[in-house]
Parts: sequence; structure tokens; C-alpha cells
Amino acid sequence: MDGEEGLKMGTSLKRLDTIIGTRQLLYTLLIIFTLIPMFFPLRLPISISARTKKVYNYIDNLKPGSYIFIDFDYDPAGRGEIEPQAVAMMKHLFDKKCKLVMASLGTTGPVMFEIMRKTNPDIFAGKEYGKDWVNIGYVAGGESAAAGLARSISGTVAMDAYGNPIGNLPLIKEADKAEQFALAIVFTTGTDTLYYFVRQWFTPYKTPLILGILGVMGPAAEPFVAAGQAVELMVGQVAGAEYEVLVGRPGIGLGAMDAQSTSHAIILIFIILGNIMFWSVRLRGEKR
Amino acid sequence: MIEAIQIWLSAALVIWIWSFVYKDNYLYRLAQHIFLGAAAGYSIGISLDSLNKTALVPLAKSPTTNMHLIIPIIIGLLFFFKYSRRYYWVARYGVGIALAVGTALAFRTAPMANIIRQVNAVLLPLWTPDPVKTLNNWIHVVITLSALVYFIFTVTPRVVEGRPTITYRLYDAVLRIGIYGMMVAFGATLANTIMTRLAFFISMNLQYLQPYPLESLSAIILVAIAILFAMRRARAG
Repeated sequence: MDGEEGLKMGTSLKRLDTIIGTRQLLYTLLIIFTLIPMFFPLRLPISISARTKKVYNYIDNLKPGSYIFIDFDYDPAGRGEIEPQAVAMMKHLFDKKCKLVMASLGTTGPVMFEIMRKTNPDIFAGKEYGKDWVNIGYVAGGESAAAGLARSISGTVAMDAYGNPIGNLPLIKEADKAEQFALAIVFTTGTDTLYYFVRQWFTPYKTPLILGILGVMGPAAEPFVAAGQAVELMVGQVAGAEYEVLVGRPGIGLGAMDAQSTSHAIILIFIILGNIMFWSVRLRGEKR
Repeated sequence: MIEAIQIWLSAALVIWIWSFVYKDNYLYRLAQHIFLGAAAGYSIGISLDSLNKTALVPLAKSPTTNMHLIIPIIIGLLFFFKYSRRYYWVARYGVGIALAVGTALAFRTAPMANIIRQVNAVLLPLWTPDPVKTLNNWIHVVITLSALVYFIFTVTPRVVEGRPTITYRLYDAVLRIGIYGMMVAFGATLANTIMTRLAFFISMNLQYLQPYPLESLSAIILVAIAILFAMRRARAG
């Protein structure tokens, strides 16, 4: 290759580098490849991870009628990631005739819970409020609130989310303390909440924990499982989709999996192209 | 009627917020301000509701049995002295008590939960009948220890007279293993971050846009006009 040809190739490489580096191109392609599978579903198969299977088996092996505490603590942005997990797991729990006590340590939790209830009415069908499930609503105080609820729900809050005196609810009379719950499930978009439950529910009372979290929180929450402080993690939308398959109720999670696969393929292609460009430019001895 | 307004607003706000990816414009800023205002208003509302449910109503219903609730209410009210130039120091008592309670609660279990259990989790058998488990345990232990070595800044072996000693070489090797271990962890976090962001994007589409094509299209047309307007202004300026 003579000098002129090399120069020409260097220029075209740089031009390609600029095109690939244009953020609008990536965003446009992402939008296209996200929307296509929504209108024309590809129905790509998904496999069930060992992690989701473990959570499923754990819940499946609970005694019918067990008391379960659920912390609804995710924000509107995280709804797409956490809600599929929450819906599928709650269906499983209700099918197992478990009794659920819901609370929110975050301000957005009560709204997210009500949206979930409104958009998935079949989950609560035939279940009696106060007897099969209770929603305490928002409890202010962060870690102090978690500690208070673990010690005594009726001693921490006077009313549930709908203004009923907490002492009048039969379910709270039966399950009022962390020791009385067979399991606590934390659906959260905040890493702090995980610490609250590990420190205030698992460590003093040994209440088993399942943590339903965002994908981005996965690596940070991994030590809780390694140390035996949590039964298992449900990480991101994919875990929700897998659980939907296991309980046989397809929802948003499963619906999003095609788009997840196609959009991740685009990102992978861009990462490979970006690396090829980086190394081509670098091997030619040019500075970026 | 209210539901129709909700649908129009949710579709419009999602599109307008996303329009920032292309270019800053008035509709993006309007959506941003609405979001911030609504979030702040909602937080205040729900906090007051919580105060009402946990303290004010029980106190009003049976003042004698719930007399003790006056103490936390007063401590909470102390926070508002922050807005007084003369008595701002009083707020420190409220903050101090809240911090002390929070710290005491956390410290009750933090050493066990955050330190002892985590250290215990690394004390793994290095020889097991299962070769995969043995390998995993080795990786777990070696990378944890190496990553910890990376953060020891007080005692580090030095190169003596231009020649690295054996201690230095060993330290350097351990340090590199620690760095690579951390890079793998950061890589996993980044990959999960991408997955989360895409999940946000996809689920917003599925929940707020796809079921309402007319509303979404109207929002897109409006934001396109706003972007064109912004581009024309930028060119003129």
C-alpha cells in the first residue's frame, strides 16, 4: 500500500468513525429496532435462569396460608423492570393461598402499587381485603420505619393506606411482627432499601428475603446472596419475564423480551464496530 | 374525561422528555418543569398524609394514650427553624436527634450485616469434590483479597535502586488481579445499566405509547415543530 492509498484509507476510516460515533444514528436505530418487535412480535424463545427457578421453587414450597411481607418501593421509571416481577410473584403467592401485607418505604411506592392493582385486577380477584391482603401504604422514616415495622406493624402505623384503623384488620392481628412472616419480598429501585431490610429484618429476626431489583442494581446486591442474607435476587425485566413464563401469565415482561433482544443486538454491533474503529485508528498510530 | 386527559398527558410527556435526545426545546423544558413540580408536590402531599396517619389522627382520637407522639412531632417541627436567620441553630437539635436514632438503629445490626457476614462469605473451602465449585471458590477468594490489596495505600513495596524486589513483583501481580477483578465487576454493572435503560425505554413504549397511537403521534408532531422552532432560533441567533 503506497502513501496515498494509506492516506485515503485513513480518511475513510475516520469518516466511518464519525458516522458510528454520531449519537443520533445509534438512537434512531435503537428506536427502530425497539419498535419493530412491538408491532411484529418475533416470539424469540427465552430460557429460565437458575436464579428465577430458585425463587419460584422457594415460593412454591411455602406452606399454604403463609404470611408474606412485600415492600413496594419502586419509582415510575422502574415500573417496567419491577412490575412484571411483582405481578407474576404475587399471582404465584395468591395461588399458594399466601396472605400478603404490603407497605412502601418510598413515597412513590403507593402509587405504583395502585397502578399495578388497577392494571392487573385478575391477581386480586376473589381475594378479600383485610383477610387475604392488606396495604399499609407509605411509611415515612426509611431505616427507622423498616425497624419499626419489623418490631410491630400495629405499633408503627395507626391506619392502612385506605384509612382503616390497622388494629381492626384481621390479617394484621395474625401477622404483626417480622418473625411471623415466612418471607419478605423487597421490590425496589433504591439500593438503600436493601440494606434496611438486611439490617432490620434479616439480621435480627432471620426473616428470609427475596430482592426484586433493577438490572443495574444486580452486581451491588450480589453479596447479600453470597453471604446468605437473601434467598435470591430477581434482577430486572428479564427475571419478571421468566417468572411470567413459570406462572403461565404473559405480561409486559415477556412482551418486552423481543425488543430487549433486538436492541441489545444493535448495541453489541456498535460495541464491536467501535472497537474495530478504535484499534484500526490506534494501529495506524493516530491519536484520537 | 379525566382518563382521556391522563392518557394524552402521559403520552405527550414521555415523548417531550425523550425529545431532548435530539435537541433541547421548549416542550422538553415544559415537561421537565411539570415533572419536577409534580414530584415535589406529590412528595410533600404523601409525607403530610403519613404524618396525619401515624401521628395526628391517633393523637386527636385518644390524646391520653398517644401523648408520647407529641415528642417526635416537636422534634420534626424543629427542622423548620432552618428558615429563620436568628434561630436556625435550633434545627440542629432536630437533625441531631434524627441522625442519632438512625445511626443507633443501623449500628445495632450493621457490624453483623455489613462486615461479619460479608467476611464470612469469603471464608470458602478451597478444595471440594466439585472442580467447578473449587475453581469458583478460588476465584472468589483471590479476587476479593486482591481487590482489598488495591485499597491499601499506607504500606506499599517500592522499587529499590531501579530494581523491583520479589515483594514488589508479588504485590504488583496481586494488584493487577485486583484491578482485573474490579474491571469485570464494573463491566457487569455497565452491561446491567444498559439493560436497565433499555428496559425503561421499552416499557415506557409498551405502557404509555403503543396502546395510544393517536396521542403519541400528536405529541411527536408537536415536538417536531418545537425542535424546528428551536433550530431556527439557534440559526438566527
